[in-house]
Amino acid sequence: MARAFLVRLGQMVLVVWAVVTIVFFILRLTTGDPARLMNAPGTPEEVITRTRERLGTDKPLLAQYGDYLVDMVQGDLGTSFRGATPVADAVVAALPNTLMLAGIAVVLAAALALLLGSLAARRPNGLLDRAVLAFVALAQATPAFWLAVILVLFFSLRLRWFPAIDLTGPKSFVLPVATLVITLSPVLIRTVRQSFIETMGEDFIRAARARRVPEHRLFLVHGLKVAALPLVTLIGLQLGFLLAGAVVVEAIFNWPGIGKLILDALASRDFPMIQGGVLVAAVAFVLLNLIVDQVYGVLDPRVRVGPR
Amino acid sequence: MTDAISVVEEAAPRQEAAGVRAMRGLARRPTAVLGAIGVAVILVAAVFAPIIASFEPSSQDLAQSLRPPVWDGGDVDHLLGTDALGRDVASRLLFGARNSLMISLGAMLLGSLLGLATGLAAGFFGGRVDSLLMRLGDIQLAFPFILLAIAILGTLADRNVGHMILVLGIPGWIVYARVVRSRVLSEKEKEYVLAARSVGASGMRRLRRYVLPSVWQVVPVIALLDVGFLIITESTLSFLGLGLPPPAASWGLMLAEGRKNMLISPWLSILPGLAILVTVLSINLVGDGLADVLDPRLRKGTFRRRLLRGPVPQPVGAERALLSVRDLSVEFPMGRRVIKAVRHVDFDVRRGETLGVVGESGSGKSVTALSIIQLLDAPGRVTSGQIIFDGRDLARIPDREIREMRGSRIGMIFQNPAASLNPVLSIGHQMAEAMTRLDSLEDGDVGAASRRALRSVGIGDPERILRQYPFQLSGGMNQRVMIAIAMAAKPDLLIADEPTTALDVTTQAQILDELREITTRQDTSLILITHDIALVAERADTILVMYAGQVAECGPASRVVSEPGHPYTRALLDSVPRADIESGVKLQAISGELPDPATVPPGCPFAPRCPEVMEICQRVNPPSFTVAADHWAACHLWAPQEAEVSA
Repeated sequence: MARAFLVRLGQMVLVVWAVVTIVFFILRLTTGDPARLMNAPGTPEEVITRTRERLGTDKPLLAQYGDYLVDMVQGDLGTSFRGATPVADAVVAALPNTLMLAGIAVVLAAALALLLGSLAARRPNGLLDRAVLAFVALAQATPAFWLAVILVLFFSLRLRWFPAIDLTGPKSFVLPVATLVITLSPVLIRTVRQSFIETMGEDFIRAARARRVPEHRLFLVHGLKVAALPLVTLIGLQLGFLLAGAVVVEAIFNWPGIGKLILDALASRDFPMIQGGVLVAAVAFVLLNLIVDQVYGVLDPRVRVGPR
Repeated sequence: MTDAISVVEEAAPRQEAAGVRAMRGLARRPTAVLGAIGVAVILVAAVFAPIIASFEPSSQDLAQSLRPPVWDGGDVDHLLGTDALGRDVASRLLFGARNSLMISLGAMLLGSLLGLATGLAAGFFGGRVDSLLMRLGDIQLAFPFILLAIAILGTLADRNVGHMILVLGIPGWIVYARVVRSRVLSEKEKEYVLAARSVGASGMRRLRRYVLPSVWQVVPVIALLDVGFLIITESTLSFLGLGLPPPAASWGLMLAEGRKNMLISPWLSILPGLAILVTVLSINLVGDGLADVLDPRLRKGTFRRRLLRGPVPQPVGAERALLSVRDLSVEFPMGRRVIKAVRHVDFDVRRGETLGVVGESGSGKSVTALSIIQLLDAPGRVTSGQIIFDGRDLARIPDREIREMRGSRIGMIFQNPAASLNPVLSIGHQMAEAMTRLDSLEDGDVGAASRRALRSVGIGDPERILRQYPFQLSGGMNQRVMIAIAMAAKPDLLIADEPTTALDVTTQAQILDELREITTRQDTSLILITHDIALVAERADTILVMYAGQVAECGPASRVVSEPGHPYTRALLDSVPRADIESGVKLQAISGELPDPATVPPGCPFAPRCPEVMEICQRVNPPSFTVAADHWAACHLWAPQEAEVSA
């Protein structure tokens, strides 16, 4: 148990380290000199040199990398190239906005998947099943960014029900969350439906029926507890998708989260801010993966208790 | 040697026809056909975009800026209108299809080739190569790839199609690799591949001949769904300004630019999205159809009881019988074929009696049992006959009544005890569920009732068992739990379908003796189904022998065992190892196979395997003839002389 946990922890650290390292070097090898980018064209060389010294980009690459790692371990993510905002502050301010958005979306998408998936599975090929599958096919083919634009077009600009951009209150959540839920749910619905159909055909369901377990219990307790397991695994596998969705949605709705922070920083070649954003996103990603696995363990006694 | 290989190759499933079969299967699905048409149209549009398009995708004409589409007041020159720079939207959509398909197909090819190579390597070499590759895959799945893609593409100054293909394609390998690997592993173990190996077919030959065909069954489906996903991802990146740089025509980019004029020309935002939606939807429809055709597993229906309708025959059954089955037939319609699993079966079970039902797998004994308790798997249904239980015809009573009877008046236990209990619910939970519904639960103490039930089947420490899950118990223990649950309801009839087949020999005898003990104590009738006539020889009062869905012989256990009337019963008895026969006598295996239940030939179904076959057996299916009092055999050997003539 302890060994497995340490291996897992090591793997998580490895993933985060690999992400920040790749990003660190790619930034410095493929982009132009940020000092030159930050000053207007025709700025005297000595000013650019001074900017370079201020940013620390005058040092050899490996020395920069070493400093970066040491600072990072100490919790210092550096200072933004633009202005003097500490990156850590900016990132800490942005993270909750993203987590709230993604968290609400995942919970709603999972609930929707359980509801529609199980209802569809009650009567495969029935009317409801076909309707659900049609929704799944359409939603799966809909790009999140387009859906977001259409929702804004209709609900914000035409009907004026919800704000089109910015996080100004609870109403601001509606459109971004709807976008994420609709694009995240089709895979989840499909999985729940399929695993429900398979579960309801299992021997233990027939045996339970033979010992007079009532149909609603059969469905809601015996079926659901087994059929919901793949959903948890799938949510773990969809975290990358969710991350991408969050970036898109934040860009469209001008949402002050990590995704928008990274995109803005990329546009302005703000190295420390890009690195900070990527680091936090990577850490959140591996932690969420870990949490999903723990939830699976709680739900499935075969994992929780271990065999005899 | 070559002969041996060709013989083995004959045994391999025929793969040549698979492609044709898949096409035919697809053609029968309207949604897949629709998808295929969509894909074809888009492919043509993408390939011939330079010819079809009436404008250069990036030729600007500021005088024509922001023209609406033709249905919204625009002119025919620009069917779908123009964008802010006066570029023709229709032409840009066509060229966007070209770029989008080029990138996503390229990325799919790259990912699938990488995955195919690594999956084959992992599956074939196994060992260290396998664990290294799979560990790499684990890490990759836990890797926030999209983050990296955004960072990489965001810093590249001049992105081209190659960059996009690399960034989008490489991470896809793991999906293909996993599937290919598992296919290789399962194919490697199949008999015909092992046989090919034993006759010296080389590794490459085995790979090409046996493993790749099976891999081709799954890869196209994944590849199609992958392309759909890649198109969306590519356009998403373009939308974020991380795709092909302007002025390239790309759906995502068009939408991002159109969004700036959302209020004046909403169509600029709507059309590119529609193009993506239609493309991905078409691809997915074909992919889903293909998955359906190639993987028929999901077509299995769920349980749905079908009431037997039509005229009710005259009530039958001896007064003394608890259960009277008359002329029972069960069919499973499978596409164009109809499997006649049970044909015109008659038998009685008296109160307190143990009926042993014997037959090999496929003889219809389990189907008979399931039709009594009305739990036949779809699409099976009772097509004729009566199942009179205590005066009620179970094939005709409403669902509500049969549900009330299951688990209270009729209990059933199954072959695989571990699979008969829900794996994620504790034993205590599942017992309580049954105990709360007991009529006999006077004190309302469910826990006490559960413990009492477990003790009645010889479980010494019920407290511990109640806390555990089915996977923590042995097969014998799980079966005891099943018996305890079934018997706690004090049923009139217990059906035990091969209750000990999955258990080891010692446990087998113990469980059977306990079963007999508790049914005798509670005066419960027992139908004990088995393929092993020796198990029921001493434990049953009556033995019913089934063959090919029919009753071959029925009579008192002692008589059936000592003086079998049917050659099949004799063959069954001869195949049993017995202690009382000296060990020089060779055991007789029954030669031949059961007839195909879909195409039942006329005559006696056992005739092809019967050592005493006569001319009449090929023509006439024998009815039950009396062998002695209460003893019948469906065999022409027992036909009265005159009956043989008239037949």
